[in-house]
Amino acid sequence: MTRHGRRPEETTLTVWQVVELARHPDRPYSLDYIRRMAPDFIELHGDRLSGDDPALAGGIGTWHGRTTMFLGHQKGRSLKERVARNWGMMHPEGYRKAIRLAQHAAKFNFPIVCLIDTPGAYPGAGAEERGIAAAIARAIMEWFRIPVPIVAAVIGEGGSGGALGMGVADRVIMLENSIYSVASPEAAASIVWRDNTRKVEAAEQLQLTSRDLLAMGVVEEVVTEPEGSARADYEATAIALDEALQRHLLQLLAQPTEELLQHRYERFRYIDSLIRAEPQFGPKI
Amino acid sequence: MVASKKPTEVRIAGGKLPPIPLPTNCPGCGVGLDHEELRRHTYVCECGHHFRLGGDAWIALIADRGSWKERYGDVRSHDLLNWKVPKPYQETLEQLRDEGLNEAVRTGTCTLGGRAVWLAVFDFRFVGGTLSIVAGERLARGMEQAAASGLPYVLVSASGGARMQEGVLALMQMAKVNAAVGRLDAARVPFFSVLTDPTFGGTAASLALLADINIAEPGAAIGFTGPRVIKQATYADLPAGFQSADFQLARGQVDMVVARPELRRLLAHLLEIYP
Ligand SMILES: [Zn+2]
Repeated sequence: MTRHGRRPEETTLTVWQVVELARHPDRPYSLDYIRRMAPDFIELHGDRLSGDDPALAGGIGTWHGRTTMFLGHQKGRSLKERVARNWGMMHPEGYRKAIRLAQHAAKFNFPIVCLIDTPGAYPGAGAEERGIAAAIARAIMEWFRIPVPIVAAVIGEGGSGGALGMGVADRVIMLENSIYSVASPEAAASIVWRDNTRKVEAAEQLQLTSRDLLAMGVVEEVVTEPEGSARADYEATAIALDEALQRHLLQLLAQPTEELLQHRYERFRYIDSLIRAEPQFGPKI
Repeated sequence: MVASKKPTEVRIAGGKLPPIPLPTNCPGCGVGLDHEELRRHTYVCECGHHFRLGGDAWIALIADRGSWKERYGDVRSHDLLNWKVPKPYQETLEQLRDEGLNEAVRTGTCTLGGRAVWLAVFDFRFVGGTLSIVAGERLARGMEQAAASGLPYVLVSASGGARMQEGVLALMQMAKVNAAVGRLDAARVPFFSVLTDPTFGGTAASLALLADINIAEPGAAIGFTGPRVIKQATYADLPAGFQSADFQLARGQVDMVVARPELRRLLAHLLEIYP
């Protein structure tokens, strides 16, 4: 039960309504949360190789008295900012910047907060030319070696490999009306029917809501949003998100580094264990 | 003076390649195909066109004859999400099994030129070689075993990415296998990856491009997002050869492009010169 007095399972929304809430242009974005969690936030830029990716905001700030590294997809509010931020779709430089900043955090023993909100990695020629596949692959592998606690939250859209590239953490939680999926409903519809207008049916099939992911054991917690969803009350949503992330972080800070990394490995190694626990339902592994 | 090492003669032959369905004419040069002749040439046409091989053919091509020991073959997929479109996933799985295919990834141990290795091969015929829970589980278990035993790890990929019908749990396999690649890496176990046509999405963005040596087959398409989706999303005109093996060589993503008839000898040589 949460401060809002409503359990997340008491939703009356359709799957597609949740998708629309997750993508709503008035929904709070990463920097709306980060600036509330750490008012002294300082943004840092660049992958130190070739560029800076504005689709990923990163930097340091004081959070509950502790210097913390914040990383988050940033979609942009105005049309001009959306173009500049590329709608939160990262290029290879973004994944390299993320790992650069994660290693920076590790050097100074700062914990890391990742906020996930992306339709996916950028599906463009430039991203391919500069090695987006390898950039995501390397980021995913490197996250397992970062020797400080990492807490992540899906705050809007968790789109495919582009989201997972920022989603290897010791705890992953979701805001109630966020989604996390192997493919966008449009992409799934286009694969199944060669017709991306059947996105509503595809969304229903994909099982991408926060409740679905909690049931599958892919995320640890669903954070309830205020009446009218996150966009109705930025302040209250930020407080709820802050409280949940801090609570998870405190548990992680108590762990020796070796144990932390071993648990992170096992978290993803056995992430399908709920399925395995019910042999009539899942694969017999 | 140190004697220079010549590329290894592979004295132990690979297995005989199984017959594969082939068109009447080569899509590369249009010439009519002699199936037996092609089979002897590892299904590479004189013009250089490489026909796609299934997992069984790759095992025959890479493993020394009679050395293949399949592992974890009894780990099987089931329909987790009650997936119904365009047809029930469980039906798809059963149909493919009836055709004798056992998932998109098969793994096991074998010898190659007499050296013991772990081998994993993707099979594009099984739901487009997609990364599934079972594929991820077989890959991770094999890599953990290789890391523990020190046996080199050889991968052959052909995959469209993560398997949509297993939802976000298929996506999570990218993290599962990359964590295991990290274990291989930390154990300093050599990892050689052969990227074949096509290698895309969650497979390209997980283990396939993370090897110590990445080897692409000539003409293989390798990338993250497929050309159809890129064109749809960005209205871009993609040049000829975009995402080809040579494109990835020029962009620094693969170490070499190697024709299939040379592959076995190259791998055997690498296994000899890496600890
Ligand atoms: Zn030909």
